[in-house]
Amino acid sequence: MSSGLGGERKASASLTRPGRGTAPRLHDLASTPEAPRTPLLRSNSSFFASPGGSFRTEDEYVVIELGARFVRGGFPGESAPRCTLHFGPDQQRRVGDYRQWDPDSAKQRRNTKSGQGWSRDYELYRMDLSAVDLGVVEDKFERAMREAYNKYFLLDTKPRRILLALPPRMPHPLMSTILDVLFGHFQAPSITLMMSPILSAVGAGLRSALVVDIGWAETLVTAVCEYREVHERRTVRAGKLLSEEMAKILNAELDDEAQPGDPKLQVSFEEADEVLSRVGWCKSRPRSNRRTVYFPARTSPVLEEFEDAVEAPEPTVTIPFLRQDPPTEITVSLATLAKPAEKALFAPDTALNEFDDDELPLHHLIYRALLALPIDVRRLCMSRIIITGGVSAMPGLKTRILAELEALVQARGWDQVRNYGSASARHEQILRQRREQFELRRQESEDKVTQSLDPDIPRAPLPPGLQDPVDDVIDAKLAHLALRNGPPPESFVGGSIRGVETLGAWAGGSLVAQLRIKGIVEIEREKYLQHGLQGATKEKEVSVVPQRQSMGPGLGRGAGERASWTLGVWA
Amino acid sequence: MAQPFPYTYYACDCFDSNTAASASRAAQTPADDEDARTFDPRSPRSNYALYPLEHLLYCEDCQQIRCPRCVIEETLNWYCPSCLFEVPSSVVKSDGNRCTRNCYNCPVCTSPMTVSSLEKPTEPSATGGPYILACPYCHWSTVEIGIEFEKHTGITNQLSRIANGGKTLPTQKERDKERERRKEAEARGGIGGRDILSGSEDSPTRDGEGNAAPPGHDDIFSNLSAFYKAQMQAQTPSNPFSPHDLNFSSPSTYSRIMNLYSSTASKKQKREKPALMREAASALEGLALHDPASDIAAIERIKKEGWASTLSPARKLAQLNPHVRFDSELRPTASLLCTKRGKRCRSCRHILSKPESKITSTRYKIKLLALNHIPRLSLRALSPATTTTTPGPSHPPFNYNALRPGIPIHFLLHLSNPLFDPIRVTLATPSTTPGAIASRITILCPQFDVGANTDVWDDALSSSLSPIAKRSGDAQFEAGKIYDRGRNWTAVVLEVVPGFVTPLGGKRDEADGDVKGGGEVDADLLEIPVFVRIEFEADVSVEERGLGDSRGSKGEKERREEAFWTVLGAGRIVDV
Ligand SMILES: [Zn+2]
Ligand SMILES: [Zn+2]
Ligand SMILES: [Zn+2]
Ligand SMILES: [Zn+2]
Repeated sequence: MSSGLGGERKASASLTRPGRGTAPRLHDLASTPEAPRTPLLRSNSSFFASPGGSFRTEDEYVVIELGARFVRGGFPGESAPRCTLHFGPDQQRRVGDYRQWDPDSAKQRRNTKSGQGWSRDYELYRMDLSAVDLGVVEDKFERAMREAYNKYFLLDTKPRRILLALPPRMPHPLMSTILDVLFGHFQAPSITLMMSPILSAVGAGLRSALVVDIGWAETLVTAVCEYREVHERRTVRAGKLLSEEMAKILNAELDDEAQPGDPKLQVSFEEADEVLSRVGWCKSRPRSNRRTVYFPARTSPVLEEFEDAVEAPEPTVTIPFLRQDPPTEITVSLATLAKPAEKALFAPDTALNEFDDDELPLHHLIYRALLALPIDVRRLCMSRIIITGGVSAMPGLKTRILAELEALVQARGWDQVRNYGSASARHEQILRQRREQFELRRQESEDKVTQSLDPDIPRAPLPPGLQDPVDDVIDAKLAHLALRNGPPPESFVGGSIRGVETLGAWAGGSLVAQLRIKGIVEIEREKYLQHGLQGATKEKEVSVVPQRQSMGPGLGRGAGERASWTLGVWA
Repeated sequence: MAQPFPYTYYACDCFDSNTAASASRAAQTPADDEDARTFDPRSPRSNYALYPLEHLLYCEDCQQIRCPRCVIEETLNWYCPSCLFEVPSSVVKSDGNRCTRNCYNCPVCTSPMTVSSLEKPTEPSATGGPYILACPYCHWSTVEIGIEFEKHTGITNQLSRIANGGKTLPTQKERDKERERRKEAEARGGIGGRDILSGSEDSPTRDGEGNAAPPGHDDIFSNLSAFYKAQMQAQTPSNPFSPHDLNFSSPSTYSRIMNLYSSTASKKQKREKPALMREAASALEGLALHDPASDIAAIERIKKEGWASTLSPARKLAQLNPHVRFDSELRPTASLLCTKRGKRCRSCRHILSKPESKITSTRYKIKLLALNHIPRLSLRALSPATTTTTPGPSHPPFNYNALRPGIPIHFLLHLSNPLFDPIRVTLATPSTTPGAIASRITILCPQFDVGANTDVWDDALSSSLSPIAKRSGDAQFEAGKIYDRGRNWTAVVLEVVPGFVTPLGGKRDEADGDVKGGGEVDADLLEIPVFVRIEFEADVSVEERGLGDSRGSKGEKERREEAFWTVLGAGRIVDV
């Protein structure tokens, strides 16, 4: 039955044209401690590139952001996506199955599974491939994208390039599945991959930031320095855990209200999710632990009073459950609705040494991420904390995280080695030694620091190619001079905890595509259809972060058309 | 179910044959035995492969079913489903995917809204206004968000200028101008005294507010966008190679910006000493610092106004800005435009369907439906085998929703042929249905012929396939014999013994963490996968059949074959 469908791969029309290789890439806007390239080469390439400056103006983009539970799509230069599509059982029905419109069956098909099955029907993918049927991912994604194109994009027949915002470290089979759909079904001539955290930084107007993405399955902390990912940490404390906690609390409340003999009611996934998004909130940091006022610019007396003063009568919220049989409602105290966030994200009742590495509370995760950064990168990042992701919209959460972090920093500073248990203490110590050695080496070579200090990876000495040539010292001084005369001091704020809002990764992608900045990882349709992801070159020799594939250098890799492409951080 | 029992779904197998990734996935899972190839209607993928026959097209060149996934769609024209106005593609490009006339949907219940006048008889106004948008269904209106219109036309334009609460919104141009004005003022006032939070009091757009509201999403975006453009422009000194090259997309421009912070800048750049590209430093440049005040305000509001003031996920998603939380932030949503689309075969690019371009027409110039090429299968319960056939009006209708386990049921599988050639049909089905409730399936006569879809007169003249005698005792229940036959249809008997809803069946996927039973809605569903193969001799140029009567033209025939999976929905099994 596969008759002609395989022929698709042979689709013709070479879409490459001279000069593509010289297009700007996001990280090229940043510093690049990589091997020097001859200026001659660069001049040549721009000379041959685009006579008349009409470079790529004819190319149009679609901007797509992918998450575990949603896909957003729209056009460059627009402030918001044209559509945000979610994945749920109603999106997975057969054609011609209209059960979601039937109120009777709506009552029947409430999902009250626990454990793994709790949210499976609502996810597009999981990072753990053993728990994922890639065929189903393909089906779900294809259907969602078809809806996006047919219902919201309403494009003419001209193929559009795609800027795709992806979470970092997406497994290759998963990426292949996504790219197969976009190249195969939606005829994209090329796809530019960008990391969501970097686009979040762009969407905040920043070049360096600590991006805290509180997503669905996990919270990802990414240190970005000059548009480069330099460090990353993750924890499972995120949306999914939160929704499970909320379900537990609501089930307990339902039990309390039930008359003896009533059937036992259980909330469904949708109900827990809805309660969280409507009335879930996060308490401010308990006063007993407070040492300072955390927001000198705008002190928040209301916030403190809210926490400590016992209000009478206690404020409550009445939540209807119309899909329960019979429909019911419960009245819970406002304080109860803040418990899930407390327990799932901050876990104040558990000692720190009882957590596994992948289940640290959010503030400790952020603190450790900062701790692992080189001093000057840390100085920049701590004053540029971007909290984003679906859960971050919860009222009070950002304020709480920043306050907890501030308190941690006040209590511990940056040099103190904490005793996290003997094994990890040793680990931390080794880490510190490495860091000191690195600092030393860094000062010696006057190197710009964009180097990650990932503790899990043994550090290799800097290859000679990564060390800067001598005349760069002058260059650096010139740069310093320019700093003093040029930009306003606000852009150099550092050293204190400060939260910055972002418009989100999608809006960042919209800006990048509007400015026609090219990504690091750009995949041409022809090459992908021939070789798949295996077609990417492994550019180990130019890796900025040792032992881990990083964004390769964009420019200077041969003049004119770039013959090869790289998977960058996803390699 | 989608459709009332019994129903038939057809599988398009394009999903597992069109990508290399799926091919390699298939290679990983050993498809060694027959079972592996049996279509499983319970598999989550099956939901994406099964379609009612009416939804499928047919490519005559590829001689294959084409489902919505294996066609390419091309937009022919755009129109508003509400006012039926045809929107030119240039306008779609500039004004977006929504109607810019007066077509709005209710943000609460999505019904189309109407423009109504609030004019008081006592104080008539020149325009007949003020006007509002109101929902005739749930009675929500723009009064609830403090918006009234002066005129009853041009609602889109008026709405874009009014914020919730009635304040005037500046246009993009005014915003840009204001931004420039304030930036200049800042530059004059010196860097030190700069208010990096948004609101300074001299803004004409924020008159009357002591403390300015934080800038909205769109404000921040346009500030950011302007900031990045300005940064790029500042990096565009003259280029020795193309002096007129001042646009953003010039690679030479970029090579300069790119290396601004670079310690490996080229000699040329050192000479030019370009200014540094930097980050946004003020609200005017799109920087928004976290402000706990908004958090506190939201919590206070939940405390005071409770559940009803917050928006459900569906309502949020229907908004242009889905980051809203409270009902006072709702905006009426302009109707999404619809398109008329042509469909082509993904494999050979032939046109499969093309609607008439007139908006009001629902007809098609071309539509190659699968139901004209693929036999239609339909299922019907004959009667419970235990009771003898007692025809008569008193017989209660068969209850497909309560199939009793362990008791054989006879279904009639009716297969009708849309082709102008007689076909030979071979049916195959697994002996038991996949899944926890294993029902036994037997097709009493899996191979049979079906007559051609000739007109009725041909039928009368034909003697080769005369109908067999009906109701000849229990003979029709015998294996290998068809039950009934007509001009272009044949019916055979399908015997089903529904399996037991075992007590353990409810906990079968425990390793997965899925505790089925209570939650799993469709576990009791009896769906029968049936593989259908048809063989026939067709005229060689079958795709030209429409051009004339090719049936008698040359007599040149070719042997053809079609094969596909279907799923028969027989009913639900009751737990006994
Ligand atoms: Zn198909
Ligand atoms: Zn309209
Ligand atoms: Zn309404
Ligand atoms: Zn075809």
